[in-house]
Amino acid sequence: MSEENWIEVGSTDSIEEEDLIRFDHQDKTFCVYKLTDGFYATDGICTHEAVHLEDGLVMDDEIECPMHQGIFNIKSGEALSPPACEDLQTYPVKVDNDKIFIKID
Amino acid sequence: MKNNIIILGGGQAGVYAAREIRQNDSKSNIKILGEENLLPYERPPLSKDFLLDKKKEEDLYFYSSDVLKNENIEFENISINKVDFENKKLFAKNDNVYSYDSLLISTGSENKKLTLDNNLKNDIYYLRNLEEAKKIKEIVSNKNKITIIGGGFIGLEIASSLSQLQKKVIVIEIGNQLMGRIIPKQIADLVQNTHIEHGNEIILNKQIEKITKINGHYEILLNDNSLIETDFIIAGIGSTPTVKLFENTNLRLDNGIVTNQFCETSIKDVYAAGDVSNFYHPFYERNMRLESYQHAQNHGICAGKNIAGVKTEYTSIPWMWSDQFNLNLQLTGICDEYDEIIERGNDINNGVIYFFLKNNKIRGACGVGIIGKVGRDIRITSKLTEKDNIVDKQILTDQNLKLNKLIQK
Ligand SMILES: Cc1cc2nc3c(=O)[nH]c(=O)nc-3n(C[C@H](O)[C@H](O)[C@H](O)COP(=O)(O)OP(=O)(O)OC[C@H]3O[C@@H](n4cnc5c(N)ncnc54)[C@H](O)[C@@H]3O)c2cc1C
Ligand code: FES
Repeated sequence: MSEENWIEVGSTDSIEEEDLIRFDHQDKTFCVYKLTDGFYATDGICTHEAVHLEDGLVMDDEIECPMHQGIFNIKSGEALSPPACEDLQTYPVKVDNDKIFIKID
Repeated sequence: MKNNIIILGGGQAGVYAAREIRQNDSKSNIKILGEENLLPYERPPLSKDFLLDKKKEEDLYFYSSDVLKNENIEFENISINKVDFENKKLFAKNDNVYSYDSLLISTGSENKKLTLDNNLKNDIYYLRNLEEAKKIKEIVSNKNKITIIGGGFIGLEIASSLSQLQKKVIVIEIGNQLMGRIIPKQIADLVQNTHIEHGNEIILNKQIEKITKINGHYEILLNDNSLIETDFIIAGIGSTPTVKLFENTNLRLDNGIVTNQFCETSIKDVYAAGDVSNFYHPFYERNMRLESYQHAQNHGICAGKNIAGVKTEYTSIPWMWSDQFNLNLQLTGICDEYDEIIERGNDINNGVIYFFLKNNKIRGACGVGIIGKVGRDIRITSKLTEKDNIVDKQILTDQNLKLNKLIQK
């Protein structure tokens, strides 16, 4: 695992618990979540239509799209409720010195 | 004991019910009878992404035939034209007879038709199913000026799509605002402005006196004597539950099939769900009929549970959306029973929401914003409605304060 794949997102206190922040890197948008048991990351755009999930609602381990209430599991990316039917890409996250990093290949 | 379960109407509510029954009952025969020669599919894209060619037919199906086959759910393409509730039988046009032990009616709703005194019936188009969407898509490709009669959700969504296809669109609405009285006038006006900014013409407060066909074009005469020339006419003037089949039976009808909170109708072993049902909502303590994606799904699932013997009350707080241009409008709860209205935000870029309160508790809300901007707050509002607590109005009005604070309280 090469070091440069880990991209710094921000400090751990930049996200409230049970919430998310949007993180843009190069041409891509990600969402980084703080759940009760740690940090997670997914693609930032819904797989149903091109809508930013940053405006969605985090409930337990799930993110609900603000447009049509498609629901995804944040940890696995699985599409749980229609109209979303395609899974969401997830990314590894690590915390180092109170900073959050995500690994995007 | 093995049961014969028949689902009459192969749409969204029907297919969700079928799968839910199978989850709870591995033995019964489950058969969906649908008059469209298509597996159950999503209708919302018909007026939006399907017209815009962003979604294809194959993207619309809820489940593949393999999924249904694996769960041993049969789908038969047939139109039922007679029912005998006493002997538990359904009759098809081709003389096929179907016997059931339990029946779910999920026949949906159908478009109201314009009454015209001349013979232009086949010249006016309506949008309810995939076949009609395909026809409209094909015909508009070589038309320029298109008139939509009716400024409701579906009419406006078509107007938005056709405008994006570079058509000149005119919308004629009989009322004094778009989308009917249920939508706050301020929100209707914001949506109207967006249509106008994109070049659509919106005519309010006008009735159609006459439509005349001249050389393949149409002249629409309005009640103020103005004349509109157009190449193509689509009407979206509302819908009615599909209940004709039951009119001379003892099934209780009143704006659809009357059901209780368990999706049960007035006849034993007969259930109804989705657009066709006028159901009792225990939270609001009244009956209502909804035409919405989320409701068709959840109501279908609830009916499925009850048919399979898992007694379940339907308590889902209503929710629906409409997408027009880059706007997303959402409605939750009910917006016609209130003693106070509270406004949150005034800029469409950040979202505008109107909350409807009764005795200081939220009953419903309607919001509109640029893509996705009101979704989270509307979703939280559904939860707050369900909680039925007295709410802090300061938090509702101030967009800088997060609504989920009210849930945590
Ligand atoms: C163009 C359009 C856009 C929409 N957009 C939105 C939206 O943006 N957001 C939203 O929340 N909702 C939207 N809706 C509403 C939503 O799609 C419906 O509420 C939902 O489809 C209702 O599901 P249903 O199963 O009750 O009925 P339907 O999906 O209509 O299914 C009923 C089926 O029963 C069949 N049937 C009827 N009679 C018989 C018979 N005698 N024999 C055999 N079969 C029969 C019909 O042909 C039909 O296939 C839209 C609807 C339309 C038409
Ligand atoms: S855009 Fe996310 S569910 Fe439709």
